[in-house]
Amino acid sequence: MFDAAGNPPPFWHNGPTPGGLYNFPGPKTAPSDFRQHSQAPVTTATSIVAMQYNKGVIIAGDLLGSYGSLARYRNCPRIMKVNDNIILGAGGDYADFQYVKDIIEQKIIDEDCLDDGFKLKPKSLYCWLTRIMYNRRSKFDPFWNNFVVGGLQDGEPFLGTVDKLGTAYTDKIVCSGYGAYIAVPLLREALEKNPTPSKAEARALVEKCMEVLYYRDARSYPKYQIATIDEADGAVVEDLVSVNQNWSLAHMIY
Amino acid sequence: MALLHSENRPNYPDYATAPTQHHFSPYADNGGSVVAIAGDDFVVIGADTRLSAGFSIYTRDQNKLFRLSDTTVLGCSGCWCDTLTLTRILSARMQMYQQEHNKTMATPACAQMLSTMLYYKRFFPYYISNILVGLDNEGKGCIYSYDPIGHCEKTTYRAGGSAGALLQPLLDNQIGLKNMQNVKDSKLTLERAAAIIKDVFISAAERDIFTGDNILINIITKDGIKEDSFQLRKD
Amino acid sequence: MSILAYNGGAMVAMKGDKCVSIASDKRFGIQAQTIATNFQKIFEMGPHLYVGLPGLATDTQTVMEKLRFRKNLYELKENRPMSPKVFSAMLSNMLYENRFGPFFVEPIVAGLDPGTYEPYICNMDLIGCPNQPNDFVVGGTASSQLFGMCESLWEPNLGPDDLFETTSQALINAFDRDAISGWGAVVYIIEKDKVTVRDLKTRMD
Repeated sequence: MFDAAGNPPPFWHNGPTPGGLYNFPGPKTAPSDFRQHSQAPVTTATSIVAMQYNKGVIIAGDLLGSYGSLARYRNCPRIMKVNDNIILGAGGDYADFQYVKDIIEQKIIDEDCLDDGFKLKPKSLYCWLTRIMYNRRSKFDPFWNNFVVGGLQDGEPFLGTVDKLGTAYTDKIVCSGYGAYIAVPLLREALEKNPTPSKAEARALVEKCMEVLYYRDARSYPKYQIATIDEADGAVVEDLVSVNQNWSLAHMIY
Repeated sequence: MALLHSENRPNYPDYATAPTQHHFSPYADNGGSVVAIAGDDFVVIGADTRLSAGFSIYTRDQNKLFRLSDTTVLGCSGCWCDTLTLTRILSARMQMYQQEHNKTMATPACAQMLSTMLYYKRFFPYYISNILVGLDNEGKGCIYSYDPIGHCEKTTYRAGGSAGALLQPLLDNQIGLKNMQNVKDSKLTLERAAAIIKDVFISAAERDIFTGDNILINIITKDGIKEDSFQLRKD
Repeated sequence: MSILAYNGGAMVAMKGDKCVSIASDKRFGIQAQTIATNFQKIFEMGPHLYVGLPGLATDTQTVMEKLRFRKNLYELKENRPMSPKVFSAMLSNMLYENRFGPFFVEPIVAGLDPGTYEPYICNMDLIGCPNQPNDFVVGGTASSQLFGMCESLWEPNLGPDDLFETTSQALINAFDRDAISGWGAVVYIIEKDKVTVRDLKTRMD
C-alpha cells in the first residue's frame, strides 16, 4: 500500500496521489533544477592525510580520480606547491579542485608581478579559502572539496583545513574522507606517544596510513604523492610514492 | 521483472540501480556548548573545545569564545562555518564603531548590533546559538542569549548549544534557586559561579557526545578578562 | 512531531540505599493544549513493583492493562509474586512482539526484589530494548533535561528522605523547562516495609 517514504498509493495508474497534483507523462520542457547539476561531485578524489612534525608539515594524497565506483583516471595529482611557504592538498571533486588551483596559481603570478617581495602566507591562503568556500555554499553552488593547507609562517608549522561549507579548523592532524575514520585514530595514537615526531617518523606514519587506507578504502590507489614543507628542505612535492603492498595476511580476512 | 517492481518490495539503498543523489545542505551541526553566569561585578562564560560533525571529532582544541572588546565576549555553538563568518563580520563592525566614534562599543550596544545582524539574515539564517556576555555601563555583569534569527533576551545565567537542554534546568535550580524553599538568596560569588560552570560541564560531557575534551573559561571583571581551562572526558 | 511527544510527560526513577524512587508529572495534553492535570502514568503492579509508561496516553493505558493481565496470570500460575526483573523481561518481550507496529511508550520499571529487597530500576525503548543502570533512568519528552539534572544531583547510597528530595528536584526543575510536561507531580518512595506516595505542588504554567 504505502511506499517506503509513507506516501499513499495513487488513485489510478500514473494518477495523482490523494492531495497531490496530476503529473502529465512525457518529457519535461525545461530542467527546472539546473542548479542541481553542480550539487554533485563527478570525478572525485578520496582521502587526504596530513600532519605536523617538529619543524614542518607533511601532506599525502593518492593519484586516483574516481568516476563513481569506476577507477577512471589514474594520474590525478592533487597536492600542489603554492609557493615557498605553502603546500596545498585537496580531496573531493577534481574539476572544482582544478578550477580553484588555477585561481590560486593566477594569484601567485599576480603577486610575483608586483615584485614587492611579499609572498602569500599559509594563514592568508587558509583564510581566503574559507571565504571562497563559504561564498559558494551560500549560493547553493559549493566547491565540492576538502582543502588542506600546510606551510610555514613566522617559523612555525601551520596546518589547517576547509571543507565545502567553509567549515575550517587548524590542528596537528588533519585527514579528510575515509582518512578521518581510518588515519586519524592511527595518527592520534602515535602522537599521544610521541607529541613531536621528526620528519622521518612523520613520514613513516603517513606512509603507514596510506597503506592502511589502500587496503580498506575501495576508492583508493597505491600510487600517491607526498608533500613536505620545512625550514631545512623547503616545500617539496614528491610524485609517485607507492604503497609497499603486503597481501600475505589477506587469506586470514573473511 | 514484475517481482523487481513490486510495490511491496522493501527499499534497500545499497542495492538501488538508480544513481545515488547527493543532496547538499548548507548547514552542519558542529556541536559544542556554552554556559554563562553573571554576578554583580563579574561575568563568567565557559565553552567546550570539541569541534565535531556526527560521530567524528574534527579537533579537540577549538576555542569558541570570541573577544569582541575588553569587556565583551561572545560564545558560539552550532554551525561552525556560520560562526566563523559571523564573528569576522562582528569584529569588523566593532573596529568600524571604534574608528567612527573613537570609543569602544559597550556590551548592550554590541548585544543590539548582534540581534540586528542575525535578523538581517532572517531567511537564510546563521545557524548559531549565541551567548554574549560582558559588563554593562554600570559595571554589572550581563548576559544576552539569542536564537538563530536574532531574538535577544537579557538574563543572569544561560546554557546554550548541544547540551543547553541538559544544563539550563540545573542552572535554574542552582543559581535561579527555582523550586527551593527556605533558602536565603545569598550573593553569588565569582568562585561559586566558576565552580558551577565546571560542575555542569562535567555532567554535560557524561551524556552529550558533542560536548567534551576541554573547557575554556573567560572571567570578565573591571580588571579585564582572565582565562582558565579545565579538562573534560575525551571519549 | 513524534507520536511519542503527542501527549507529553516526564518520568524518572532512581536507586537509593535499600530504596528506590519513581516519579512523574501529572499532565495529560494534546500537543500544546492541556486537557487534564491528574493523569496517572505510574501504576502499582505489586507491593514493591511499579511501572511508569510515558509516551502516547492511549498506549499508556493499553499497555498497563495488558501488563496487569499477564502479571496476574503469572502470579496465579506460579503462586508467588513477580520480581521486577521478571516483570521487565515480560514487558520487554511484549513490546518486541510488536516490533513493526509498536506501542508508543518508553516504560520505566522500579521496585524491590520480593525475596532480597534489592533495589531495581530499568527503562526500555518503545520496542523493548532494556537498560538496567546502577543510578537512575529517565523518560518522556523532558528526558534530556532530566539527564542533565540527574547527572548532577544523583549520588550513591541516598536514604529515603534524601532520595525523595533528589528525585523531586530533578523532576520539577527538568519539566519546568519542558513546555508539554509538568502541571503537578507524584513521587513514590519504595522501601522494604512502606511505600510513600507524595503529590508535589508545582508551577502550573
